[in-house]
Amino acid sequence: MFTTKVFIRKNKIGNFLKNIREHYLRDDLFCGFTSCNVCKPEDTALSSNIENKSGLFNYPHYLILDTNIILDQMDILEEDVICNVIILHTVLKEVKHRSLAIYKRLNAVIDNPNRHFFVFINDHHRECYVPQEDTELINDYNDRCIRTACLWYINHIPDAKFVFITDDARNRALAEEENITTCSIEQYVRSIKENNLLEDKLAKRDYHVESDTQDLFPAHLTVTQVQEGIKEGRLHQGTYRASTSNFLEGFVSVDGYEDAILVQGRSGQNRAIDGDLVAVEIFKEQDWIAPSEIILEDESRVDTAVEEVLLKENELKEYSTGKKKKEKAKPTGCVVGIIRRKWRPFCGILQQDAPEGALYHLFVPADKKFPKIRIETRQAEFLKTQKIVVVIDDWPRYSRYPAGHFVRALGKIGDQATENEVVLLEHDVPHSKFSEEVLSCLPKLPWIITEEDVAKRTDLRHLDICSVDPPGCTDIDDALHCREIEGGMLEVGVHIADVSHFIRPGSALDVEAASRATTVYLVDKRIDMVPALLSSNLCSLRGGEDRFAFSCVWEMDKNANILKTKFHKSIIRSRKAMTYEEAQLTIDDKSRNDSIAQSLRNLNNLAKILKQRRLEKGALVLASPEVKIRMDSETMDPIDVEVKKLFETNSMVEEFMLLANISTAEKTLKDFPDCAMLRRHPEPPKINYEPLVKAGKHLGFEIKTGSNKELAISMDNAVKEDNPYMNTMLRILATRCMMQAVYFASGMFQKEDYYHYGLAVPLYTHFTSPIRRYADIIVHRLLAVSIGADVTYPDLLDKHKTSDLCQNLNYRNRMAQLAGRASVAFNTHLFFRGKLQDEEAYILSVRKNALQILIPRYGLESTLYLSQKGKKSIFEYNEEDQTQKYEDVVFHAFDPVIVRLALDSNNIQREKLVLQLVFPVVKGFSIPPLNEEHKRKVETDQKKTKAKKSKKK
Amino acid sequence: MSRKELLSKIGLRADGRRAQELRRIRCKLGVFTEPDGSAYIEQGLTKVLAAVYGPHQVRGGRSKAQYDAAIVNCQFSMAVFSTGERKRRPRGDRKSTEMSIHLKQALMATIKTELYPWSQIDVYVEVLHADGGVYAACVNASTLALIDAGIPLKEYVCACTASLANNDIPMVDISYQEEVLGGPTLTVAALPMSEKIVLMEMTQRFHLDHLPKVLKEALRGCKDIKVILDEAVRNHLVNVGSSSGWVKNK
Amino acid sequence: MKIQVRLATQRVDPSVAINYRSPKIFTPGEVITVQDEFMRGHGTYEEDGYLKSSVAGVKQQVNKLISVRPLKSRYNGEIGDVVVGRITEVQQKRWKVDTNSRLDSVLLLSSVNLPGGELRRRCAEDEHMMREYLQEGDLISAEVQNVHSDGSLSLHTRSLKYGKLSQGVLVKVFPSLIKRSKTHFHNLPVGISIILGNNGFIWICPPINNEEDNVGGFVQNLEEVIPRTERETIGRLRNCILALAQSKMLLYDTSILYAFEESLKYSVSELLIPESMVDVAMSTQHRINMLEND
Repeated sequence: MFTTKVFIRKNKIGNFLKNIREHYLRDDLFCGFTSCNVCKPEDTALSSNIENKSGLFNYPHYLILDTNIILDQMDILEEDVICNVIILHTVLKEVKHRSLAIYKRLNAVIDNPNRHFFVFINDHHRECYVPQEDTELINDYNDRCIRTACLWYINHIPDAKFVFITDDARNRALAEEENITTCSIEQYVRSIKENNLLEDKLAKRDYHVESDTQDLFPAHLTVTQVQEGIKEGRLHQGTYRASTSNFLEGFVSVDGYEDAILVQGRSGQNRAIDGDLVAVEIFKEQDWIAPSEIILEDESRVDTAVEEVLLKENELKEYSTGKKKKEKAKPTGCVVGIIRRKWRPFCGILQQDAPEGALYHLFVPADKKFPKIRIETRQAEFLKTQKIVVVIDDWPRYSRYPAGHFVRALGKIGDQATENEVVLLEHDVPHSKFSEEVLSCLPKLPWIITEEDVAKRTDLRHLDICSVDPPGCTDIDDALHCREIEGGMLEVGVHIADVSHFIRPGSALDVEAASRATTVYLVDKRIDMVPALLSSNLCSLRGGEDRFAFSCVWEMDKNANILKTKFHKSIIRSRKAMTYEEAQLTIDDKSRNDSIAQSLRNLNNLAKILKQRRLEKGALVLASPEVKIRMDSETMDPIDVEVKKLFETNSMVEEFMLLANISTAEKTLKDFPDCAMLRRHPEPPKINYEPLVKAGKHLGFEIKTGSNKELAISMDNAVKEDNPYMNTMLRILATRCMMQAVYFASGMFQKEDYYHYGLAVPLYTHFTSPIRRYADIIVHRLLAVSIGADVTYPDLLDKHKTSDLCQNLNYRNRMAQLAGRASVAFNTHLFFRGKLQDEEAYILSVRKNALQILIPRYGLESTLYLSQKGKKSIFEYNEEDQTQKYEDVVFHAFDPVIVRLALDSNNIQREKLVLQLVFPVVKGFSIPPLNEEHKRKVETDQKKTKAKKSKKK
Repeated sequence: MSRKELLSKIGLRADGRRAQELRRIRCKLGVFTEPDGSAYIEQGLTKVLAAVYGPHQVRGGRSKAQYDAAIVNCQFSMAVFSTGERKRRPRGDRKSTEMSIHLKQALMATIKTELYPWSQIDVYVEVLHADGGVYAACVNASTLALIDAGIPLKEYVCACTASLANNDIPMVDISYQEEVLGGPTLTVAALPMSEKIVLMEMTQRFHLDHLPKVLKEALRGCKDIKVILDEAVRNHLVNVGSSSGWVKNK
Repeated sequence: MKIQVRLATQRVDPSVAINYRSPKIFTPGEVITVQDEFMRGHGTYEEDGYLKSSVAGVKQQVNKLISVRPLKSRYNGEIGDVVVGRITEVQQKRWKVDTNSRLDSVLLLSSVNLPGGELRRRCAEDEHMMREYLQEGDLISAEVQNVHSDGSLSLHTRSLKYGKLSQGVLVKVFPSLIKRSKTHFHNLPVGISIILGNNGFIWICPPINNEEDNVGGFVQNLEEVIPRTERETIGRLRNCILALAQSKMLLYDTSILYAFEESLKYSVSELLIPESMVDVAMSTQHRINMLEND
């Protein structure tokens, strides 16, 4: 049947487990050459018509790559100039083992037929297999396998030429001994004609090269040293998180310590980058220090890097030491080894201050958590105007900054489109156009409802259904109705767009939607989860049109007690698509008595009861400073920033959506105890509440955090007459204490962990927005199965698959949220370009050298520095009370202030909002107000203080 | 795409097989002289010995004997060294009892027990090395041992495992590594010539959409195995027959 | 004596097969022929109008009766067969005997020669005395008197040849290896007697002197000391039989004798080494072939 030879590989691991695996060798594997008449021909990507153009080898040749080339130089390989490449299976396996991300990228290249990459399975080939020798290291063995395959090719296809590329000098030498043509990637790339600045993309990674320059960082421990250290308990493993406010500080959270381990300064951080899995050594307790509360930014240039960092380190030291600090000392340590790098491509710009014509430049990532990266480029003048993508290759000990290489340019700095691109890239939002394959899954227009459809669904077109959404909404996924039925009862229906009718499981469209997971809303752009035909037309429950819906219909009494719940697929015709404002007006307009107005009023009344009941159970009312940016429809420039207005109807719609979600969660869990997709919101650990409780204490309120109900009550009580915004600020703070709500598969958690803390419900899921959330589609499918309207498919019932899917959904949701915020932030900046404005604001928190300021009108949070660079602050910081004091003026948390907003555009590389204090007046620090109203306020205040002073005298 | 993908994109499994390929099967009949029939089988690295005693007078408690058919008694056991970790495996634990019952079910389907009233047939299987598909190997070894013992069978009973690679492509004859990494595994014991399924077992639930193709693959595996076993039986017979000179005992 | 332990890979193939033209082999489930013309014999069954084989073996046809004979199976008794068996149970008026058959065989009290003459009447006292004659564990030689419908055998020992066995060695081989012949009692020229039971049980003992007594063979003389040379010969014969059995060669007086002669170049204990066993079997095979070809 098939020819095999068996080799047995034994390896012993850990507890002397004997693993024996079979390894079949085959003689039916294809070499990839159509000219070969020994092998059985199959499809091949290699082509004799395509040539690699290299000056070094000016004859047609095929490339065989070593593993290190693929791991390090993926950016080069993604370029079209390199083709006719043979990827050995040994190499492919090693790449997969070492980096899944690179493996995926490599697969994308292999799958592209235009690139002519061919995978040769050498390790199962009868003639290319070599057994590993007893004392041989795995790396040497792999190298030998690769060379054996090279030799085999040379003998197998005598009329073709092969070039073996490797950056491992030893391997190259051995290959030369065996008469294999070989060179390094750098030599090869340099020799390519028309190389189009390909050299910029070369990753520079020195192997075993000692440098003469002075080492700036301590050496990392080797892998075995780290493993031993962890085993013995000397070292600890954890993920490194850079501080967002201080570039010389970071934290590593490790098991067994409640507080994250503080690492400070160059030697402490020791080249760790945010997200890396590192090994830390924890100092003795007497050497522990407190986290500095200062804000430090890296302002160095490529040539002054070292001096700058020394200066800043000293500054930091000053803050962190001192006797008082001892009490607040946190576990401190230093990074001694990196277990796994979490490097990814970074978006950002070149630092502008490099001299013209320089080869080395500093790249500044958009995200402040990451260090600057040193790159080599010959097109700096052009790149300076661009947002670019750069990856890190290496961070040698002698270099202040990691070394990286340029990948691609995104567009001009400051352009809306470029910035959107950056936001999307930084947050890993898939935003390419929908592929032809995906679009082919869409229904053909004109779309009509067939008899068959009608027969399968409940016809609800006679009901007075309407939708209520924000203005300008085109993806309407929910609609409501309410009518009186026999016995004085009310029938309430929530109708959700039936997206799962159009997106069939397993189709390209489904796969794409699952990968996107959510629609991403940027200020001026919406990245749809599903193509517009569905999101804005066929699925959107537009007024006056027949649409498919998934209906959840309750029978309720007037006290909003649910007597019966029904789910069915239906056809509806929304009477009207209203905005929140319109709906509110309809309710308030006493003269209107039509059925829509009545049903809205009924709904509103029920919603109030539901809300009340929910709050009693302990649901939290949280706040976040959300704003809407009004855009000029022509120029797409922001013309105004405003806080979102809320009507009663907002809450009305929300209540019914919550109710529908809860009902669905109960139903799906009952029918699918193992694979229902639910949403949980874990209770945050007590330590998260610390800032909130502290802030409350300073204001004289006790914030209890025992349960969500206690928290809700104590926040309700924390009201100050003279500062109405304070309560909102408390709620904003509370929001920041919360954990992220996440999707999960019911089979993966214990029942008690299903709880939704924020909503105070035992079960919750998402059902009501299938157009913009993939989770809802899954929930729709489950529900459709449980009411018998649809059939299952394998992945739907696999709790592991569902769990994997949840991971992706959670990740994408988080990223979408962050992307949305980043977009708002950018547009706010844009709005302030060339403007000066005084605004009322509040102090959110008091730092050692700065105040964290919240400006409610713009939902903006920013830092007001109290000291200039290099100068000593005139304020006196009281750590106990968390106050800053100068003469009579004392800043507490939550105090109202007036600040001036301006955009600092001198520094084009990173435009930032600069705050200046206007009120209260602090001599030598505050600045005079701009407008009359504020002037008056300042004047009256000054009079008051004078009066006070004179009194004292 | 995950690290644990069972079938690489070039279509090979971790051990170098394609999805539809069985592992190498080697087998031998008549390995012992004491029992009436015996056999040894290797399916990949899974190695099983089987011994058959009987049909003989029912021993120990005549009440078990049946007036119209022979009773079949199966006993499954695993050697302490059969898995990566050395482990005492007392006879009669839950797993081996279950295995014994399943084995009996498969063998009862093919043994013509009605020919031997009042008697008993004992089948003992011992797993020397377990590397996936243990049950299947036991069934195949027992079949060979029964044939060696000259006990009349309707036909060969063969068993084979199948599973899904990458949740999509059915693959046959699952190794231990694939059992651990992969999803549910289906074990089928069948009479390959008449295409009757005599036993089916799943480690986890399959979705109904997947089951037919996995089952089809497992059945195809059974048929392939039957061909291999049949060849082994013929070779054995020719060998023995030639030694004794094909002398007819009449 | 040296103890030899060897790896499986160093195992010697005991096969001494020679290229006979092998007849057609049938395996279980294989179709032999369309049913309606033929009669169904042993090792076959009928399904869907076909006659199929149920065992692996060769086809035998007697007129319209088709049967398939497996090369190896439990002993299928036939009337007149000589068997060696072991008493497993003493019941009323009968003994149960293990004869390597599918079911235990029966030896009726009425089918044995009791001391005191052949024509003696069996009385109730004899029933009480049964255990005195034969008890559990005793070995006997007997002849198959009758085959019952369920396949079980009735034995008798009503000849002076049969009866309880005294000092000697029992060797068990597969019944199929015993060649059927006119006599299964042999006094080999090497001074040893041998009973080749059709059921695969072979009894090797010092020469039997039939004239000595005629008490129906219920006497065991366990006091008598068998000389060492005889014991050695018995041991050598046993090992020769095992060597032939291992190589699946038929056992009958000539083959055993040849094997004995061929084995003389080895010591008795050396005959347990696989190589010498195969060597003996090969040489025997060779001599038999010469004999047949002559």
